[in-house]
Amino acid sequence: MRLLTLSLRSLRREWHLPELRTLGASLVLAVVALGVVATLAARMERGVLASAAELIGGDIGISSPQTLPANFAAQARDRGLQVTDGASFPSVAFAHEQSQLLDVLATDNAYPLRGSMELARGSGTVVGHGPAPGTVYLDHRALVALNLKVGDSVQLGGRDLRIGAELVRLPDGGELVAMAPRALMNIGDAEQAGLLGVGSRARHRLLVAGQPSPVQSWRAWVEAQTLPQGAELITPEQTQERMRSAFDRASAFLRLTALLSALLAGVAIALAAQRYARRKTNEVALLRALGTPRRQVLGLLVGTLGLLAVPSVLAGGLIALGLAQLTWSFASQLFAAIPTTMPLGPAVAAAVMGLAVLAGFALPPLARLAEVPPVAVFRESAARRVRRFDALYLVPALVALVLIWSQSGSAKLAGILAVSLVGVAVVAALLSALMLWIARRVAPGAHPALRLGLAALARRRGMSLLQATALSLGLVALLLLAIVAPALLQGWRSELPADTPNWFVLNLQDDQRDGFQQALARSGGEKLNMLPLAVGKLTAINDQPIDQMHFKDERAKDWSDRQLRLSWAAELPPSNEVIAGQWHGDHPAQAEVSIDTMWRDMYGLKVGDMMRFNVGEGSIDARVGSIRKVDWTSFRVNFFLVFDPAHAASLPHTWIASFYLPRGHTESLAQLSREYSNLSLIDVDAMLDRVREIVNQVSGAVRWVLGFSLLAGALVLAAALASSAQERRHEAALLRTLGARRTQLRMAAACEFALLGLVAGLTAAFGAAGTGMWLGHAIFHIEHFVPPLGALLLAALAAAIVVMLLGLAGTARVSRTSPMRLLRES
Amino acid sequence: MSGNASALSGNPSSGAKGVLLDAVDVSKSVQGPEGQLDILTAVSLQVREGESFAIVGASGSGKTTLLGLLAGLDTPSSGHIALDGNALERIDEEARADLRRRLVGFVFQSFHLLPALTAEENVMLPLELEGRDDARARAREALEAVELSARRRHYPAQLSGGEQQRVAIARAFVHSPRLLFADEPTGNLDQRTGQHVSDLLFSLNHDHRTTLILVTHDPKLAARCARQITLDSGRVVLAPRAPAVAP
Repeated sequence: MRLLTLSLRSLRREWHLPELRTLGASLVLAVVALGVVATLAARMERGVLASAAELIGGDIGISSPQTLPANFAAQARDRGLQVTDGASFPSVAFAHEQSQLLDVLATDNAYPLRGSMELARGSGTVVGHGPAPGTVYLDHRALVALNLKVGDSVQLGGRDLRIGAELVRLPDGGELVAMAPRALMNIGDAEQAGLLGVGSRARHRLLVAGQPSPVQSWRAWVEAQTLPQGAELITPEQTQERMRSAFDRASAFLRLTALLSALLAGVAIALAAQRYARRKTNEVALLRALGTPRRQVLGLLVGTLGLLAVPSVLAGGLIALGLAQLTWSFASQLFAAIPTTMPLGPAVAAAVMGLAVLAGFALPPLARLAEVPPVAVFRESAARRVRRFDALYLVPALVALVLIWSQSGSAKLAGILAVSLVGVAVVAALLSALMLWIARRVAPGAHPALRLGLAALARRRGMSLLQATALSLGLVALLLLAIVAPALLQGWRSELPADTPNWFVLNLQDDQRDGFQQALARSGGEKLNMLPLAVGKLTAINDQPIDQMHFKDERAKDWSDRQLRLSWAAELPPSNEVIAGQWHGDHPAQAEVSIDTMWRDMYGLKVGDMMRFNVGEGSIDARVGSIRKVDWTSFRVNFFLVFDPAHAASLPHTWIASFYLPRGHTESLAQLSREYSNLSLIDVDAMLDRVREIVNQVSGAVRWVLGFSLLAGALVLAAALASSAQERRHEAALLRTLGARRTQLRMAAACEFALLGLVAGLTAAFGAAGTGMWLGHAIFHIEHFVPPLGALLLAALAAAIVVMLLGLAGTARVSRTSPMRLLRES
Repeated sequence: MSGNASALSGNPSSGAKGVLLDAVDVSKSVQGPEGQLDILTAVSLQVREGESFAIVGASGSGKTTLLGLLAGLDTPSSGHIALDGNALERIDEEARADLRRRLVGFVFQSFHLLPALTAEENVMLPLELEGRDDARARAREALEAVELSARRRHYPAQLSGGEQQRVAIARAFVHSPRLLFADEPTGNLDQRTGQHVSDLLFSLNHDHRTTLILVTHDPKLAARCARQITLDSGRVVLAPRAPAVAP
């Protein structure tokens, strides 16, 4: 208690010290940066999952090849959840003596529970629900193929149904599963028509939606049940892998920004703590001489800092929550439909991390301070001999590592950042040591101002090294955020340019290729990319029939039951990377297949294994020639299994194509659809839009969080300057007494800071470029990322000038120091 | 009594032959928490080239303030000070700095060596400020003169108090100033070391024909000077032992 009172008194007396204020401000900033980002990321994650829910039409569901027992729906209703029942199946529709295979979804009137379904009636578009009995909704392609319009009748499952509206967009319209034109009918009609009976190809679907906790409870209950054969949970997480991956990249960007801000704040804290410790040396020596035990001295120091830390982290946490709320209210239109509550956990975690940063970065100099011997009251040099606690300087490094690890959520990102920052620190220290070495040698012959500046750098050798290293670390973080991160974001965005293919075509026949290509060009379609597509089944691995094999991975059985999409190519497709074996090229000696990593994991395959597939009437035996890592987020047509063209081209196949068609060209697309009525055209604009929105939103948020980093950078500079201010003032007073002119002092300071800034700026520019390239390649999977070197070098020069100007501004008071100060200090 | 200081120290007409420092009716007051505080009141004195002059008095009597004013480190609230014929109150701080660089050397009670510089580098400082190329060679000579050649690469923290003060004396003499101000030069030293340092100071003063103005509360040290004044509460209470300038 007494210690607490003493600490409180000590803090009150010392509050005017700039280093304590720097400590407090850095801590607030670290907590704010970490807190805002973590809170936003948590809310965004909920938002993204919620919008994935929009895309499946409910919060969660079960899909099953058989009718689900009634208790699944009953359990959901008991929990107060909304329920919708549905089934999807292929069925042939007839009208005007024409027929068309349709992808039919039968639902009740509650569908969709989440998201919206758009219908066109007359001239306008309305948001609707599942059709009433006797009514069907057909999409544009179905209407065109059957030569129908809204209000006509169509025969489906032997029943005549009235077309109530044109189906414009289903919540899950962006999925790549719609092979044929789509129809939406009432589930009662489907049941009465016998479309859902035993032996039908219907897949039943139960979707539920409601408050998060009953949804979670129902999910837990479902997971505890034995689901019917072949049934599976439909979760938002699995449904939109691409959205998920966009979100993951987004949060990686945000976390990176927050992390660097926190590390910057840590550097500022370390500098301020060291300065504080130096200032306190005499006081501690006196306390020790007067008989204060070491433990009490340490207690007093820790108590003072603790009392500073508690309000700082509280303030930081509150500011973080306020800012997160503010940002959210601006950004919420992205997830407008789903209000998410403000999570408090991340802000609390940020406060704890802030304390860890303070403890980690401030502890070493303070612990050393407690070791100051009482004899230091007589001889200051005695205070400098404390070497025992040098190992403590590993603590901030460890805290930084733990922070990087916990914030990045990825060992790889953590590793890259840690190695890069350590590299930058080492290079900065080496470069500044070199600069000091040169300074010692060139100083005697240099211009007097430069000589004094160089002498000043060389005089404070340790401090100069520390300042250059801290500035380099600060600048590298700033450059990463200010220049490299936007370039990375730009790189990511340019992977999804406005003319990214937004339509997929299935079922294109060999003899239709040329005609389709020409017709598409006339319609304004661009970027046509065609790949062969065969459909087959996996029958054996290494001559062992697949149905006699057992695999740990549950997906293996499912995939061996499925019809697989197979393709072939001579060149490795873009966004594919061979990680084992050799790409087969156009004509290997025997048939070869290249498999995706998921297949390797599912079936335990390796290069050299033999696989047999049944395709049509025949079969193909192929050796696994290579294993590929595929970027499934690239919106290109990709395949798990790619054969060599020489051996696969004779397999029965159709073509799959992707192309870009500007919006508003639907009329010409309808024409195309009529000309090639066998084709399935799939629109992926909805999903692309969603991903683009996320990218844009993230760019905005990163710029926003960048503001904190700039503040943190300024704090580092301020702390670095403050750490030598007292020494500078004393020195300036002495030099003034000895007759130095003010301009001489200013010029010397300008030279000193410009050199310091240049070393730090250049180290940081190259450090940021290297780290950016590494991050771009390894974390953000941005191909051919080139860091903007020119901008970085300019920024390095600008940094030198800014450091010089700030240094001059910071030392303006120093050069005005009255020489009388020296006599007074006597 | 103090009001007659000028009469006691003779005619303070500036620019008189051989007069290096001339102070007339110098007062200094500052604004304290309880109103105006007079630190010095109407102090007048003259110091001639080559002379040694002591300012004595108890702590808080205004000795250091007077030294600061005479050396041009601060300006008086009223009165007139001329250093080598230059009226200090009429020139700005930059010009005063120029004068100090050319004419003045300092020795302080707490040495004021820069801790990050070696003994030699500390001595080089005044020469570096003048931009002289022979700084290192002359610094070595100066250190030799104070018998510290062997310790020229040592940092202040590695030197004893007496050694640090000898380095400070070397620094004060290295650029051959015409006027040396010493503020309690032996105040932080034991008697024997203090004696050694003061011997050094007076012998260099004699060899270089430097004018020495010394602030001290040590009567023995003051007695080694040709003249002295005593300050009490900012006023001159005791006249110099001998008139400095013939009327």
